[in-house]
Amino acid sequence: MIDFGFSLSKSSSIKLDEVDLSLYRRLEEVEPGVRICMGCGSCSATCNASKWSGMSVRKVILDLQRGRDMKEMLSCCMLCGKCSMVCPRGINTRHLILSLCRLYESGK
Amino acid sequence: MDNRKILVIGGGVAGLEASKQLLRLGLHPVIVERSERLGGHVAGWYKLFPDMRPASDVVNQLVEGVKGATVYLNTRVAYMNRLKDGFSVMLGNGTGLHCRAVLITTGFRLFEAARKEEYGYGVYDRVITNSDLEAWFGGEADGRIPDNPRTVAFVHCVGSRDLKAGNQQCSKVCCMTAVKQAIEMKEKFPDAEIWCFYMDLRLFGKKYEDFYINAQQQYGVHFVRGRVSEVSEDIAGRVVLKAEDTLTGHPVKLSADLLVLMSGMLCNRDTESLAAMVRAEVDSDGFLRSRDNICNVNESNRPGVFFAGACTGAKTVPETLAEARAAALAVYNYMSGND
Amino acid sequence: MRERFASGFDPFVLPFLIGMVFVLGYCAVGILRILRQLPREDRKRFLVSLVTPSTALANIRDIFLNCLIHVKLWKRNKLLGFMHSSIAFGWFMIILLGHLEVFIYCPERIHLFYYPIFFNYFVAENESTIGGALLFFLMDFFLLLILTGIVLAMVKRARSRLFGMRRTTRPSFLDTIGLYSLWAIFPLRLLAESFTAHISGGSFLTVPANWVFRQFLGNDLNMLPTWWAYSIALGVFMTVLPFTRYMHIPAEMMLIPMRNAGLRIRHARRGFAKVEVLSCPGCGVCIDACPMSVKKANIKDCTVYLNRQIRRGNEKRIEEISDKCLLCGKCEAVCQVGVEGPRLRVAQRAMRRYAINQDFSAIDTSSLVPEAAGKVLYFAGCMTKLTPSIGKAVCSLMRKAGVDFVWMDEEEGLCCGRPLLTAGRFAQAKELVRKNEEIILASGARTLVLSCPICYKIFSEHYRLPGVRVVHYARFFEELVAQGRLQFEKSDIFYVYHDPCELGRGCGIYDEPRRLLGAAAGITEAPASREESICCGGSLGSLTLGFSQREEMTKAALRKLYESKADAIATACPLCLATFSRYSERPVRDLAQILDARTKQTAR
Repeated sequence: MIDFGFSLSKSSSIKLDEVDLSLYRRLEEVEPGVRICMGCGSCSATCNASKWSGMSVRKVILDLQRGRDMKEMLSCCMLCGKCSMVCPRGINTRHLILSLCRLYESGK
Repeated sequence: MDNRKILVIGGGVAGLEASKQLLRLGLHPVIVERSERLGGHVAGWYKLFPDMRPASDVVNQLVEGVKGATVYLNTRVAYMNRLKDGFSVMLGNGTGLHCRAVLITTGFRLFEAARKEEYGYGVYDRVITNSDLEAWFGGEADGRIPDNPRTVAFVHCVGSRDLKAGNQQCSKVCCMTAVKQAIEMKEKFPDAEIWCFYMDLRLFGKKYEDFYINAQQQYGVHFVRGRVSEVSEDIAGRVVLKAEDTLTGHPVKLSADLLVLMSGMLCNRDTESLAAMVRAEVDSDGFLRSRDNICNVNESNRPGVFFAGACTGAKTVPETLAEARAAALAVYNYMSGND
Repeated sequence: MRERFASGFDPFVLPFLIGMVFVLGYCAVGILRILRQLPREDRKRFLVSLVTPSTALANIRDIFLNCLIHVKLWKRNKLLGFMHSSIAFGWFMIILLGHLEVFIYCPERIHLFYYPIFFNYFVAENESTIGGALLFFLMDFFLLLILTGIVLAMVKRARSRLFGMRRTTRPSFLDTIGLYSLWAIFPLRLLAESFTAHISGGSFLTVPANWVFRQFLGNDLNMLPTWWAYSIALGVFMTVLPFTRYMHIPAEMMLIPMRNAGLRIRHARRGFAKVEVLSCPGCGVCIDACPMSVKKANIKDCTVYLNRQIRRGNEKRIEEISDKCLLCGKCEAVCQVGVEGPRLRVAQRAMRRYAINQDFSAIDTSSLVPEAAGKVLYFAGCMTKLTPSIGKAVCSLMRKAGVDFVWMDEEEGLCCGRPLLTAGRFAQAKELVRKNEEIILASGARTLVLSCPICYKIFSEHYRLPGVRVVHYARFFEELVAQGRLQFEKSDIFYVYHDPCELGRGCGIYDEPRRLLGAAAGITEAPASREESICCGGSLGSLTLGFSQREEMTKAALRKLYESKADAIATACPLCLATFSRYSERPVRDLAQILDARTKQTAR
């Protein structure tokens, strides 16, 4: 390939009908709560780790449903559980994160 | 013996409007109100959306309309017993009645904002609720509201759509109330910045969207899509809110001189025991269960027991009044055997 | 005294002999395997402790008191204590006396395993001698003791409620065989000894029984079948023992010295943990104790079932049970043999492999260091951010007492690490601990005050903070009261104090909060308090319990608190406060809030 000194970035639009949801489906099985997120952002607002790794449970859940890789964010989660405390839908976010950290291993 | 008596439990706007219609239909409503005045919650409010009509106007007009009805203030229903042709009722003041039908218009209660500890109602000095603010608009003094606030924040959905607060339902009135109160605040304090933190803006009624546009266009109210999850206090006594602006994906912080919590609507505490006396049912959302939610919203699943207003779910004033008129007609039809 | 058989043998001893050799062999192999599984340092420590006089003595004392007399059980339930100690101690005495008899009368036979057990068959003795009469009397006395125990055990099986147990475990098939063979051993021994009493002698039980039998069974040939039956019962019991809950008998004798040597669980299935699991007698005391058991579906998640599943190797269930637990520690507090249910589960969680391992090395602590040289540092913790009333009250109290302090995590802070620790993520927790240590040491503070018991537990157990005193606010404020810097005006509201799991069972702080509360308000006790306090249900210990699954537990814990007839509930944990407030019909307050509202203006 010829190096032009710049590259074309891939389109940022996501083709919803082509998204690979295998990881999300596996997560759904162990933590069905992931389905009822309404994206209010309470979890991200209260998160202690967001300052260090941009951690946001809301983004993790939503981006996962769009087939995107969320590994980076999870790296600073302290499992403090504040996000589970504030979630208005009562999602067990702590278990969701732990499960996700394990699930990456068995698949991707 | 008067066999045209209808027991109306609750003297709020639903009970008043229904009684007015019942009188017109030639029936005899008996209004039992537990507080010392008629008008319920609305009597404590300042102006009503969407026309910004003074709430006192509406209440006065309704009270005027029930002249001729029997009204018991400061009274509760002690017990009700179903008979073959109606109900035998004993009131807390010792009065015994025989009524042909019962219309429950017990309304709602406001979610106690202190139960959402993280918002600091009762802990911090600058935190009030929507009803506190209405009272202040109406002229009541409130030391928590500063003389010249630079920043005012409204938090939507306090005790609504919240499993942790024990209420998963949308209270539907608060979004519009917040927009209305934001505008009113801005009118009082033109230099203040007003921030509304919402999960979803549900402005569904006639002219509501106009209010929203107006709030943005004319009054410059800021809207942030994100639920506030923590509130702390700085040295100056201002409240510091933490939320995520979910549309930009950034955590945000705001120091405010006043925080207004939009408390949601729950079914009144003693409604359940009242319903149990006439064996009406409570629904999974904590409000009373209608016979069905499309055609017979005003009717319970027990003959002779009717509902109107917010006892079956959160409602606006115009909705409540419309329902009250429908309930009066339902009672009339039941009495005339037109079912 | 004469021996009845010159050979000293009869085929009926074989079932016993086989069972005995099997169980001893099994245990010997087991001990060797467990010793091999121990990390080298632990093994050395253990072996040294066995020959160190002080621990060796402690071992003998503890084995005697716990395995034979069941002192702990007596304290909890007299009837159950009597039942267990009568069987265990009685049996022990019968074996001991049997050996004594052989030793006195035919020492040349002492190498035969079965001789002391079947002494009365092989040796004819005359009770006319003082020694014989005394031994026979003692033998019959202890047999009677055991038989009363067995009768109680039968009653308990049928009606556990009479013994104060609401729920007990359901025995497995092999457990049932073990149980029935155990029950059979002693009546059969009575029968066998009674048949031979006119030849071999006996005492107040066996002699009258012998007289009765001989009225209609004159033939001495009848005696042999009963001795066979007795031997078979023993043989069956010992053969099935390793596969039943009765394995706790030999296992506990191993557990006590290991514990006295200071060993801890290092691996969920091996070494010390294995011994703990085998030591579980399956009594089911932990079922009634477990806060989750208010829901019938959760009963199978109690520690007794964890132990059973671990013995069966049912990995799926082991994982489920380990993740669900609230780690409140109540099962451990009530356990008679001291099985550490929470530790077992955390060790199990620690065995998991993760693809994403948290890494906090990028966190730059310098931006978080407060300027607090020589001052008091207050660390509120994550949860207190959601219950701001606690942090506000603690600060207000310190200000009133004139304490020069800095709120370390008022703006931002790191988690204490305990949630990671309970999730079994030890290395990550340690990293977070190091980060917080850096912050605290760099601040120059001398004292660190904590209000959250979850934080306090890890701070006092895992943090290395030379020159910094780590103290919970209950202790700190009590000192301020003693110095006259804080004074309270007693209100006439009566509070019931709820011991948070992490503060009470976790850190042993029970009295300080009560004394402080007693100075500021009326105080009453709930029926289950202190070590027996019931978890609020909000614990972070559970990984899988969802929000709605906890509701019933919280309500059950509240009902117990209401029984105290108090006006309001006091606690000292942000999580308990948030959880109880959600469902409580009575006001719930943190201790700091109550104290702050009742301070008297002092002279200063």
